[in-house]
Amino acid sequence: MQDFSYQRPAALTAAIEAFEQAEDGRFLAGGQTLLPVMKHRLATPSDLIDLAGISDLEGISIAGSALSIGAMTTHARVASAAEVHDAIPALAKLAGCIGDPHVRNRGTLGGSIANNDPAADYPAAVAGLNATVYTDRRRIAGDDFFTGFFETALEEGELITRVEFPVAAAACYQKFDDPASGYAVVGVFVSRGSQGVRVAVTGATPCVFRMRDLEAALNRKFTPETVSGFCVPEEECNDDLHATAAYRSHLVGVMATRAVAAITDGEM
Amino acid sequence: MAVPGIGDAVSRTEDQRFLTGRGNYVDDITLEGQVYALVLRSPEAHARIVSIDVSEALALSGVLLIVTGEDWQREGFGHIPTKSAVRTNRDGSPIAEPPRHCLAMDRVRFVGEPVALVVAETAEVAASALALIEVDYESLPAVVDPVAALADGAPQLWDDIPNNLCADFELGDAAATDAAFAEADHVIAIDIANNRVTAVPIEPRGAIARYDADSDSFELYNATQNVHANRDTFAEQVLGIDKRKLRQIAPDVGGGFGVKNGVYPEPALILYAARQLRRPVKWINTRSESFLADTHGREQISKVELALRADGTFLALRTTTTGNIGAFCWTVGPFTPTGGSARTQGGPYAIGAMHYQAKAVFTNTQPLDPYRGAGRPEASFQIERVIELAARELGFDPVELRRKNLIPRAALPLRTPMGLEVDCGDFPQVFERTLAMSDRGGFAERVAASRARGRLRGFAIAPYLECTGGAPNEYAGITFTADGLIELAVGSQSTGMGHETSMPQILAARLGVPLEDIRYVQGDTDATPIGGGHGGSRNLEVGGNAVAQAADEVIDKGKAIAAHLFGTPLDRVSFEDGRFLVPQTNHVLTMPEVAVASLDPGRLPEDLQPGCLNTGSTFARSAIVVPNGCHAAEVEVDPQTGIIEIVGYWVVDDFGTIVNPLLCDGQVMGGIAQGIGQALLEHAVYDADSGQLLTATLLDYALPRAGDIPDMAIEYYEGAPTEKNPLGVKGAGEAGCCGAPPAVVNAVLDAIKESGVTNIDMPLKPEKVWRAIEDARRAG
Ligand SMILES: Cc1cc2nc3c(=O)[nH]c(=O)nc-3n(C[C@H](O)[C@H](O)[C@H](O)COP(=O)(O)OP(=O)(O)OC[C@H]3O[C@@H](n4cnc5c(N)ncnc54)[C@H](O)[C@@H]3O)c2cc1C
Repeated sequence: MQDFSYQRPAALTAAIEAFEQAEDGRFLAGGQTLLPVMKHRLATPSDLIDLAGISDLEGISIAGSALSIGAMTTHARVASAAEVHDAIPALAKLAGCIGDPHVRNRGTLGGSIANNDPAADYPAAVAGLNATVYTDRRRIAGDDFFTGFFETALEEGELITRVEFPVAAAACYQKFDDPASGYAVVGVFVSRGSQGVRVAVTGATPCVFRMRDLEAALNRKFTPETVSGFCVPEEECNDDLHATAAYRSHLVGVMATRAVAAITDGEM
Repeated sequence: MAVPGIGDAVSRTEDQRFLTGRGNYVDDITLEGQVYALVLRSPEAHARIVSIDVSEALALSGVLLIVTGEDWQREGFGHIPTKSAVRTNRDGSPIAEPPRHCLAMDRVRFVGEPVALVVAETAEVAASALALIEVDYESLPAVVDPVAALADGAPQLWDDIPNNLCADFELGDAAATDAAFAEADHVIAIDIANNRVTAVPIEPRGAIARYDADSDSFELYNATQNVHANRDTFAEQVLGIDKRKLRQIAPDVGGGFGVKNGVYPEPALILYAARQLRRPVKWINTRSESFLADTHGREQISKVELALRADGTFLALRTTTTGNIGAFCWTVGPFTPTGGSARTQGGPYAIGAMHYQAKAVFTNTQPLDPYRGAGRPEASFQIERVIELAARELGFDPVELRRKNLIPRAALPLRTPMGLEVDCGDFPQVFERTLAMSDRGGFAERVAASRARGRLRGFAIAPYLECTGGAPNEYAGITFTADGLIELAVGSQSTGMGHETSMPQILAARLGVPLEDIRYVQGDTDATPIGGGHGGSRNLEVGGNAVAQAADEVIDKGKAIAAHLFGTPLDRVSFEDGRFLVPQTNHVLTMPEVAVASLDPGRLPEDLQPGCLNTGSTFARSAIVVPNGCHAAEVEVDPQTGIIEIVGYWVVDDFGTIVNPLLCDGQVMGGIAQGIGQALLEHAVYDADSGQLLTATLLDYALPRAGDIPDMAIEYYEGAPTEKNPLGVKGAGEAGCCGAPPAVVNAVLDAIKESGVTNIDMPLKPEKVWRAIEDARRAG
């Protein structure tokens, strides 16, 4: 790891200011992605601005018909919080299957979605629940947030403060995880709410996406059998050491079917 | 403070230290003035080194020394020899042994091969310096697959070794085997691959070297599992120094599994650096380096053929295999796929004729060396896979076919066609007990229940037979101290297996003293005159028997002291339950009392000196022993995803006398975990074109986690202690790796048998299982 200077501001404004003054600053959340990258010297920021001192960024609350989760809230907290279990149990389950206990105790919601790893779990929930991402300067619709392979709509120095997840009537996340990393080879998030059905897929392709044609079909007929007519073409899927494109394409169907079945069976 | 007995489940005394973070591993040691070394490793699988420019790196503030192959050559240091027990090809010519230098000279042959050593005031500076060394490589074509490497026209690793062939080996009677095949009613053949894996010990390799100029001597603290043999090689063969001037100490070592047994270049490099700099030099591998530069294991591509009579009787076995050994003969690399897999061919089955043929082949990959089992798990996999296929193809019940062919107890002792002396055991009884544990009666119901949930359930049983190995002699030294402690020093060494408990347990049981009175010493070339370290499941067999032997010598000497103190003739003194006594008298002295007397000149007979009870004894193995047992597994397969769950696991092992069942269970579980890892998850993969290791991190190399390992029922058959050694022990360390892969793989194939799939190469990753089922379905 190369030398850097470290700051731990106590307020959001101080963090933004620190970022602006730094030559090549980076926000530090749980460090589960950023620190390994720095250890391998693949990132060499001049300044690390640790967000852990800003208490406003942490916490879970119910805001009307939505669940608001602070950017610095750890996966472990989301997985165990009663508010989440009551409002969107599928989200608690999703957070509880990220990586391993060490990762869940450090990794954060904000860090995860800012990073937008194609195999990360949270992006599926953000897209699958039509969440809204709040930053220090604006609000970004979940559908617009993830723009490509490790890319988001965030601007230089823009800081995620919290994410608001509308409470859906029912939702389920089905994950096929890689045995080595724990990341999603394929994860499918299905929700069914007042605004209809959403199906978001992570892991399969370079960036999370919604299966809009399947959503439309499920809006007409919400049964596991409906899924069988829809697939993500092999050509669009990731192909790597962990899984071929053909297998990923197949798994999307299996995971989506199981998610719909779980919702219809009432077991989430 | 109770006196433990042989067979007691004494809990591990070292665990308190390990589990509270108080272990003393190499990286915990800091020597005054120590500096840090890092190794520059080749990023190329095969390339000529055109030039190395270290000037910029040397100019960096804090950089103390950079050593390249050229420097090494100028110093005239020797290369690291192989100690493979197989030294000749089947035509009598010597096997090919290219020189393995500590640093690449003019050519690199695998990704991770050391190219230079950098020493700096801090590890950070050393890391910056590494990035500043400019090496100009001229890439050469690489080959990573051993079968491809043998082909004409394949890239050649060594100019003088045609077809990359290191060793061409055979064992057994080819003519008798051919004759049996010619007469057989059935011949079943299977092509299988045994996947390349790596051990991933939790502690990466590392060492600290210190040089003392006044005495011109060295100290090396090294995370190794073989201090004596490696010390000798570093001193005599590489550095050209007097081995008495090099003390090697292995402090707590966090896992070895064979990977820390061999002679690696890095310790030799830092010994040299310490002498050059007159400062202690520390080097610790990163996890990424562990993947690249720890020896790997397994990787054989085999054809296995079984000849049977119409009634299912096995007649002959023919195995033809190609073993990858990587770019060099590592410490014993060429032995594993040749002699290492040959001896236990055929497992515990009566097979009249056998022939084993193996080629050990060089490739542009990290060399392979023994990994838990070192050839025997491969042999076990070979026989069990061909039997499973034979049962399937010929319509036999796989359980019945095995039962029919097991060597009966009455046939023992015997010598197998591979020359292995199987002295004792009861393979049929072990088999039946395993079967009984696995509740075969309830199986059909469980299959139906699984099916109702969309899952397929399968079962397999896998008896195994293996053998011990490693250095044949072991030393145990017993020293009585004035403060009442007994120091026990043994030349074998624990890398986490619990010798600190089991070895004192043997001594305590023998002498009738509590465990707390014994201080255990290991892993230090100064502590014992010889030592064979850890490998080949040898500790209890040779180390344990050395302790027992030394203890018996202590007792004999103690009798002389007691006789003198009692004033009775020596032949009237007996030793029972830790006490010297004369029967039918009130003459009684405890072991500690005699020990105190042994240090007091006034209480000793004239011909004995103070300290006379101290004893050093070397146990010499007469013949390797033959652990055996039986594994059975039940699995559930999700045919939609290919995900496998092991839902039942049963084992009965015959390790002879069980000294400590708790430690033994640990060995069995650990071996099974690694066997399951190999069967389902682990695979070290090199890119076929670039020769890059694709699985060089824990994100890519799938190790089993606790959740991947099922509950297991473990029992021991103790009805046949071996007479090859006084304790009657057979070795337990590697057995789990022999039984688990065939049990798990065959159970999966049983679960999906309706698909018609008869083989899937390990690891059985879900995708492979799903694809095999799909392909079979499409093929109709
Ligand atoms: C072994 C392992 C297994 C894992 N398995 C999984 C898994 O199964 N599923 C999964 O989804 N993830 C997995 N992860 C990722 C992990 O869960 C974290 O979500 C991820 O590492 C990023 O979160 P973090 O808080 O650690 O962010 P950091 O590493 O601290 O930061 C990541 C990036 O986000 C930026 N950032 C952080 N916070 C903000 C913010 N509030 N606003 C703007 N930018 C910000 C940082 O500057 C940095 O560029 C795994 C990680 C590891 C190490």
